[in-house]
Amino acid sequence: MFPFFKNKKNTDNTKKKQTYENFKQEAEKSADYKQAFYQNPHTGAKFSLHFITTLIDGKILQEDVLPSLLSKDFHSFDDLKTLVPVLDIEVSKDEAQIEQKLFNGYTLLTMDASNRKFAFIATKNEMGRKVSQPEVEFSVVGPKEAFVESLSDNLNLLRKRLPIKELLVEEFNLGKLTHTRVALVYLDGLVDEANVNTMRQRLRAVDFDQIMDSSFIEQLIADNSNSPFPQLLDSERPDRVASVLVEGKVAVMVDGSPHALIGPTTLVEFFNAYEDYFLNFSIASFLRLVRVFAVGFSILITPIYVAALTYHYELIPKDLMATLVTSRQEIPLPPILEALFLELTIELLREAGARLPTKVGQTIGIVGGIVIGTASVEAGITSNVLLILVALAALASFTTPVYRMGNTIRLLRFPFLLFAQLWGLLGIVFCFCLLMGHLLQLTSLGRPFLEPLYPPRMKDLKDALIRFPFSKQAGRPEYLRTKKPYRFRPSEAKKKLDIDE
Amino acid sequence: MQAIPDRRKISPFLVFFLIHSIQVGAGVLGFQRIISMNSGYDGWISVILAGIVTHVLMFIMYLILEKSGGDLVSAHTLAFGKWIGNIFNLLFAIYFSLLVITIMRTYIEVLQVWMYPRLSTFMFALFFLILVYYIVNGGVRTIAGTAFFGTVLPSYLILTFAFTFKYADFRNVLPVFDHTIKDILISTKNMSLTYLGYEAILMLYPYIKEAKKSQKYAHWALFTTTTIYTLIAIISFAFFSQKQLEKTVWATLSMWKIVEMPFVERFEYIGIANWCLVILPNVCIAIWCASRTIKRMTPLRHRHALIIICILCLCTLTFITDRKQVNFLNTISGQIGFYFNFFYIPALLVLVTIMKKVRQKQ
Repeated sequence: MFPFFKNKKNTDNTKKKQTYENFKQEAEKSADYKQAFYQNPHTGAKFSLHFITTLIDGKILQEDVLPSLLSKDFHSFDDLKTLVPVLDIEVSKDEAQIEQKLFNGYTLLTMDASNRKFAFIATKNEMGRKVSQPEVEFSVVGPKEAFVESLSDNLNLLRKRLPIKELLVEEFNLGKLTHTRVALVYLDGLVDEANVNTMRQRLRAVDFDQIMDSSFIEQLIADNSNSPFPQLLDSERPDRVASVLVEGKVAVMVDGSPHALIGPTTLVEFFNAYEDYFLNFSIASFLRLVRVFAVGFSILITPIYVAALTYHYELIPKDLMATLVTSRQEIPLPPILEALFLELTIELLREAGARLPTKVGQTIGIVGGIVIGTASVEAGITSNVLLILVALAALASFTTPVYRMGNTIRLLRFPFLLFAQLWGLLGIVFCFCLLMGHLLQLTSLGRPFLEPLYPPRMKDLKDALIRFPFSKQAGRPEYLRTKKPYRFRPSEAKKKLDIDE
Repeated sequence: MQAIPDRRKISPFLVFFLIHSIQVGAGVLGFQRIISMNSGYDGWISVILAGIVTHVLMFIMYLILEKSGGDLVSAHTLAFGKWIGNIFNLLFAIYFSLLVITIMRTYIEVLQVWMYPRLSTFMFALFFLILVYYIVNGGVRTIAGTAFFGTVLPSYLILTFAFTFKYADFRNVLPVFDHTIKDILISTKNMSLTYLGYEAILMLYPYIKEAKKSQKYAHWALFTTTTIYTLIAIISFAFFSQKQLEKTVWATLSMWKIVEMPFVERFEYIGIANWCLVILPNVCIAIWCASRTIKRMTPLRHRHALIIICILCLCTLTFITDRKQVNFLNTISGQIGFYFNFFYIPALLVLVTIMKKVRQKQ
């Protein structure tokens, strides 16, 4: 009579009865599910093993499990732990666990007269990439280890650097279908609980069917997911992650992703390479300033060119104007089209270079850069001054140490270009105001994204656009509100010897 | 009034940037002519005098705020009761909307005269108000951030005045006290428009953490503004002759004309474009005050009040087309601001003090 209600009830029932038999029926449909029956010759105990062949390491079964079960005195489950030399063995009655365990590389052991008891033996086949050099955040000096796809390997890399009990790892299981292991890592007793709670809450609230990489998490839990700016820093360097944990931040690592997410983060952090800390403070500060300048240059130079040549010739002094006029006298296009053409060419080259295999990519870059560039100047489509500017701008945008931020900067140029065409210099300033308004409203885990620039915090400026020497950095970043605000007593650093003491 | 949550409040020292940035606006580009009309080269004295008066008024405003324990709306309710108080609230909201219109129209006029003769008032005002809406939508913290960057980033422009020193003659200022006290006082009154805006503290006050501590920063802001205006006034007096000053509507801009660097000439273009960054916090704070007053006196949501004011300002802006109207607008808002600050606020202090005592006795 009520078919809808009936159906619902039925599905509910099947869900509840996650029994061994049910599971077996389902699993047998797949070719790589296997069961094998054995009998111990000494005691006559009958037992069977069930496993997914593609997930387990057959060696463990053959060399450790089977010999001990078949050739020793095996009576019941109680003997398992004494007989079998495998670290992780669990005897259980909870049949709902079977599916999850089997598909995580465990072998299920059942016995005939067992009263519905069974055991899980860890036989997981650990396969994956070896730890290799960092490729995105390469550094000339310093450690050359980078995270890999395996979460346990990554946590190992981290634990090795912070061998203390305060380093806590909380595990989550996210993704309805992928069941991805996600780890929340922080230093207990140092980190601000509010940050951990926010992160924990957001991770728990994730409701998605697949988590393939940490970037999925980043997009799902970002404060403002519409913003082109990344609001969590991703890093593939275990040394960098360990170091920010010590500062009092929180990290999230995802199984299957070689990138850890760090939060809360700030805009300036995206312009800091970890290598800055390996170099002397004056050199590091210089490099940081160069990077900030490069980013500004990269975003603004073509819009300024377009603005000046479309609206404000008067701005340019006579001698410079002569150079510009000579280079542009045969160009039929207005500055904006010329600039858009070149910018898009550069974007094409970049995209092609990124998608193609490394060796072909390099060739494309050189061929594209030199041939198309010179050809378009000779053909009179673009002026060589603009060609230089665009190439420089592209080069400058590569100086951002974090790849994601580099992409954001690529995108930012275009609104600036359009506003420059609309209102000249005023348009550029207007677009800057828009950008500023946006950045002012951004937060990372609820902390202001522009800190320490705004809200201005003098103490945190010591490690922002310029880096002070370690002896001056007694305090942890203020905006993290850590429980231990000092790394060492600031008075110690101030001791100075008089002449010849 | 609902209590404002702590994470929406701003640190007391940010008041410095808020007050300073709402004071410095389009007025700086051309206040020299207005003060020299009556008192000639003695105009700088009226700049300082007007500056001193702002300190007194700021002191009075803090007294009002402390006594009423909230913002201007609570002070009005305390002094006049709810209904009459609302009339004054509305006047205050209109006054701030008028400031928004004056600031924007003056800036657009500068743009039209100096850079883009064909710039459409409506289009620019529309884009600008959308930007303002976006920022004010972010709350007081975002506005304070805009004020901060609107003060810090364009501060390099001060250095460009050094280019005028080559052509300046500082003896122009001598002899001092060449004019009657009355002339100087009239100039002081005329100068008050350029200083206007610091009344915003009347609405911003509840948004400041440890609000009492912010008073010294507010005074520092007034002091900085006075110093900058005095410097600009003296430099302009040294640079221009009196006859020139009479004909130069935007003396500051004219001074930028002579800045010359190997890669840039005609610096006023950069200056005017940069001024957008100075105007933005100005408009944001004023429009925030207006919409906040409306929100406090009516059941309207703040966001809706903001949209309504934006649209009204946009409509009014498009109707003001020529120089005379802009001049009239400036005079009007200067007058209203003058009477509001110099007569109404002291009177309000008296009323609030009396009413508080009366209520306490009851």
